[in-house]
Amino acid sequence: MTPSLMIVDDSMVIRNRIARLCQDARLPALDIVGTASNGLGALSLARLHRPSLITMDLTMPLMDGEECIERIAGELPEARILVVSALSDKMTALRAIRKGAHGFIRKPFNDDQLVDALLELMN
Amino acid sequence: MKAQALETADIEVFSEAVTHFFETTCGEKAQVRTAFLLDARAPLPWGDFNGIVEASGGYSGRICFSAPRSLLSHLLLRMGQADFSDEQHLDIVGEIANIFSGRARRHFGDRLCISPPRTFAGSAGAAALAASATHSPPFAIPLCWNGYEASLVVQLDALV
Repeated sequence: MTPSLMIVDDSMVIRNRIARLCQDARLPALDIVGTASNGLGALSLARLHRPSLITMDLTMPLMDGEECIERIAGELPEARILVVSALSDKMTALRAIRKGAHGFIRKPFNDDQLVDALLELMN
Repeated sequence: MKAQALETADIEVFSEAVTHFFETTCGEKAQVRTAFLLDARAPLPWGDFNGIVEASGGYSGRICFSAPRSLLSHLLLRMGQADFSDEQHLDIVGEIANIFSGRARRHFGDRLCISPPRTFAGSAGAAALAASATHSPPFAIPLCWNGYEASLVVQLDALV
């Protein structure tokens, strides 16, 4: 079954970039089931599509990524969440992992860093 | 609570964030010039697009990235984008302000809380900074990437 992916980031440029990188030959086929620009929209989409993989920004309007991770992890424990955030301090990464994220990659990232992080998330 | 201006080491964190961003995103270094205090005698030539991140928590102030359309268009192209609308330029200038601010948390820690970016076209950034006369004077870090000039403007006080 093709893994399904939801991309959550308040930047359209970043959402587009992640979607493009998901077509990298090193990755298995991914079905992008939705994109959201804030945590609230992400929560609704996650309930609807039940994605197996999620890339999640942290600094977003309406509902931030940390709260969204906690709620999605509670409702969809099978979803694997990769945080993609500019927040570069260790405490933020630790908090996100404690709330249910499975990986953390810092912005800015290059193509290889994101593909490697997605591969690790799927394995 | 007392407001305390940034020190030299604090300012260097932002210069490093600029270098790291261009190197990681494009594989090329930006030239980062000496930071200077902005005042009436040294006003900043604001770029076409500005992204502003507000600081809160243990800090007060804002971090602003100001860039010309040409720099942002080139950057969008390098990031694989095919849409060069104003909306995309506002999006990327805000995202860069967010990335510079987030990178600064390596040094300042999670007491530096940052907002999602607000974005403006034109010189609205100048008005945002001028409206906050209660803060320490802002300083600018000029940079040059691929021949395009831009600036990171930081107006930040630690609350002690």
